[in-house]
Amino acid sequence: MIHTHFIIRQLSRSSKQAVVFILCIILSLSTLTAFTGFSKSVNRSLLDDAKKLHAADIIIRTYDKMSDGLEKAVAEQVRLGRVELARFYEFNSVVRAPDKQKSLLSRLKVVEKGYPFYGEVVLLSGLSFHDVLTPGHVVVEKTLLDRLGLSVGDPIKVGFTTLTIGDVVLSEPDRPMNFFSFGPRVFISSQDLNALGLLQTGSRIRTVYLLKSKDDAQTDALTNLFKQAAIRGQERVNTYQTAGSRIKRFLDNFIFFLKLVGIFILIIAGVGIHGTLTAFLKEKEQTIAIMKTIGATNRHITLHFMLIVFLLSLIGTVMGILVGTVLQRGLAGLLADFLPPDLRLSIVWSGVFENIVIGFSVVAMFTFIPLYRLREMRPVMILREETPRSAKRWPLYASGAMFALFFFGLVFWHMQDFRFGLYFVAGVGGLILITYLCTHLMLWILKGWKSRQLVVRQAIKGLFRQGGATKTIIITLTASLSVIFSIYLIEKNLDATFIRSYPEGAPNMIILDIQPSQKEAFTQMLDQKVRFYPLIRARILAINGETIKHDSERRRRRDNLSRVFNLTYQNSLLEYEKIIKGKGLFRKDWTEPQVSILDIVGDMRKMGIGDTIRFKIQGVPLEARISSIRTRIKESLTPFFYFVLQEKTLGAAPQTVFSTLRMENDKIGPLQTKIVNRFPNISVIDVSSAVQVFGRLLKRLSKIIRGFSILSMAAGVLILISAVFATRAQRITESVYYKILGAKKTFVFRVFTLENIFIGLLSGFLALIVSQVVAFLVCRSVFEIPYHLYLTSCLLMIGATLLLIITIGVISTKSILERKPITYLREQPDG
Amino acid sequence: MSILEAKEISKVYTVDHRNITVLNQVSLKVEVGEFVVITGSSGSGKTTLLTLISGLDQPSSGQVFIDQQNITGASEDDLAPFRNSIIGFVFQSYHLVPSMTALENIMFPAELLGDPNAAQKARQLLKRLGLEERADNLPSQLSGGEKQRISLCRAMINQPKLLFADEPTGNLDSENGKKMLSQLVELKTEQGATLILVTHNPEIAQASDRVLTLKDGRLSE
Repeated sequence: MIHTHFIIRQLSRSSKQAVVFILCIILSLSTLTAFTGFSKSVNRSLLDDAKKLHAADIIIRTYDKMSDGLEKAVAEQVRLGRVELARFYEFNSVVRAPDKQKSLLSRLKVVEKGYPFYGEVVLLSGLSFHDVLTPGHVVVEKTLLDRLGLSVGDPIKVGFTTLTIGDVVLSEPDRPMNFFSFGPRVFISSQDLNALGLLQTGSRIRTVYLLKSKDDAQTDALTNLFKQAAIRGQERVNTYQTAGSRIKRFLDNFIFFLKLVGIFILIIAGVGIHGTLTAFLKEKEQTIAIMKTIGATNRHITLHFMLIVFLLSLIGTVMGILVGTVLQRGLAGLLADFLPPDLRLSIVWSGVFENIVIGFSVVAMFTFIPLYRLREMRPVMILREETPRSAKRWPLYASGAMFALFFFGLVFWHMQDFRFGLYFVAGVGGLILITYLCTHLMLWILKGWKSRQLVVRQAIKGLFRQGGATKTIIITLTASLSVIFSIYLIEKNLDATFIRSYPEGAPNMIILDIQPSQKEAFTQMLDQKVRFYPLIRARILAINGETIKHDSERRRRRDNLSRVFNLTYQNSLLEYEKIIKGKGLFRKDWTEPQVSILDIVGDMRKMGIGDTIRFKIQGVPLEARISSIRTRIKESLTPFFYFVLQEKTLGAAPQTVFSTLRMENDKIGPLQTKIVNRFPNISVIDVSSAVQVFGRLLKRLSKIIRGFSILSMAAGVLILISAVFATRAQRITESVYYKILGAKKTFVFRVFTLENIFIGLLSGFLALIVSQVVAFLVCRSVFEIPYHLYLTSCLLMIGATLLLIITIGVISTKSILERKPITYLREQPDG
Repeated sequence: MSILEAKEISKVYTVDHRNITVLNQVSLKVEVGEFVVITGSSGSGKTTLLTLISGLDQPSSGQVFIDQQNITGASEDDLAPFRNSIIGFVFQSYHLVPSMTALENIMFPAELLGDPNAAQKARQLLKRLGLEERADNLPSQLSGGEKQRISLCRAMINQPKLLFADEPTGNLDSENGKKMLSQLVELKTEQGATLILVTHNPEIAQASDRVLTLKDGRLSE
């Protein structure tokens, strides 16, 4: 029989606890809902609007010259009238203001008439794109005008020609305007391409063929036809539905990190759910014991409390999903600059369903133990204080195993990367375990501390109050703060090393696309010793005879073997490198081509000395034997290569040359202009300024991740509030007894506040230690950069945490402090 | 015929790794309809004995029979039907469910039994004890005497065979105490129940059929 009145009464009598419980569920679900919802919504929108986002039905991309076979196949279909073709070429080049001696590295897009087949390029003037982009004209991004001091109608030098600025571009369908790039956009008509003189051998040019199918039903068949004609691994043929994009890759990677944060919050909030329910049931102990005394069965009691939990979970889940949807909108706002202009975000119901399942699973997982323990409460508890003891351990182990399985499953479901998922699970597990052990140790030390101060002694006793959940509060707060502090410390150290103080002596200019014939004149112009690095673009066809599977390689989250690699030839080791396997860079006793590989190549595929790599260089295959494996002894901004071959092997291959320079900041601009005026095909990248731009982007993204991580702290705060509610009766008793014995209200206030100070300080300092260790290891082992402690910032963060905990503690104990002893005494014995 | 029999029951508590024997091989037998008082000084183990013979707690050794059934070692779920229909409890501290009204508290055991007339029976009991106007009050809105009478109604609603009372007048003034006791005995007699009452009040002991005294963990008559 369901006793509805009982359920309603339990909820109404403990409404504050119920609200805290619901808040924990909302917290656990909202962030993951927001992130998964956002991810699904973006993916769906990218798919729905894929034609617009790719501007075509079929997209063919290559960084090489389009092969004759594919060129012929496309031309044939155009001739037959089955497709329309619009090509564009994308590359970096320095553009110049003719009279003002200013130059700027820009991202050029040379487009044929017809681009874009879908979506539109929006211009400031409101005119049609191709009406403005006539031969001799360019359309540019506003930042270019600002930085070069130019206006619409002014001439601008691009490569070997001078063009006129026709308009300002506001948006283009296949790229968000503020997406990270080395320079602002410049659109050029394809009829000016030859006049630019920038298409040199070996230049890194992205060639894209956009095709509009006359008959939608034929799109897949045509795609297959072009795929057969294409050279695998060199030319990528996709429909608008299968083509990935830089935007999608960026969002996938960013959402990947957000999801890590979401899962972390889910777990911490799960601990909160467990803590608040335990506190809620602690408050109900007497009621449960009375019910058992008058004959209620365990089944009856468990069923009723399960219904209560279900009801609260339902409210929490629905609200969590609603809040998650709002957060999703907020996230879209925060990332607006990185999203395609026409992206429409909507609710994806499969995502909502997935989140409801996750929500109830989380609640079931974290409420199982408190509900199971109802069985262990004995009716004799109405007569004497007794801690329920678990008679059977297996339900605890079973729930632990279930939780571990669920957690693993959730991580792998979202990460889609077994190794990374394993690291994450181990990391979070380790963090919680270390936090638990440290908390245990600190509390043990505190317990043994015999202070002379009465207030201190009473506050310490308060930490061990039954139902006080001190350990849970400290563990959740420490785990959350550790993550927040760690992200902050890593970001600060990266910022300090690479962004704020650009490494001394490190090159700050990269000179690209130097033709071998220009080396001498270039050196003379600079009047200093310059080191040149030959650059030969190549793909890997096979390792030890095993063909590279491009599709599976591309799916890897980290670096993969399907991309284009830059090979070089050198006779000696580069700066900051040493050989870890092999006798010297190359073997004198081998006659066949040799290659020295960098150790990080081994992360993509295990390789050893004597193994063979088959490259394809400008269509020509080359098999080389691994003669040595190198490693970098210091992370720096100096050039390095995954593959170094001998000059006799690659010297005659089509190549460009690049060089690096170190210049004082104020000399970079004039030198860039000087170089480009003399050699218009050469691109100059101001690395320090690019790093600044990148740094700002990193800071912004890190702030978003950190902002969401702060939510995990809320779980700790909620447990703190619920613990105060759960121990309310005991606190009132203590408070009244203190007062009866002559203590003033301030004494009671000091005791309760000191208790919270202990909690805040323990959590803060444990988090400080954990985060310093984590950040140190990441900075030194992963980034290999010097490490700074940033103690002042950390102490400020601990101060803020302390203030928050004290404030919440004061607010939640205020009514207890106000309680007059006589009111309490009149009510005794209660019930 | 006995309704309750305890055979050599002992209770040992372990505090800080030390064993403390509260009851040492206590035996007793109570016949149907008897009014037995268990008395003894504070800390003599009266309440502990009551919790053991009522099945609220399990003895460290020995056996307890209620209505010819051995309840020793029985699970909480096996004991639930006993507590619901065979046993009734009245405690010194009332132990009413704080979130339920007086009427709901009384009805609760009958509702657990699935009795469709629970509300009617509860109202009759309230009327009988002159508390019908307090039906919708929460325990916190009642006086000590009222709470104890509500607790008596709750104990009697399923017409138990065996009624356990632990210092039922301990928190009441003498007038309320007397009133409460007379109502308790009246209802017990009316329903033909057996009453086992723990107290250190000699006046109550005088009203009983038999007085058992607990001293140094042992029971004497």
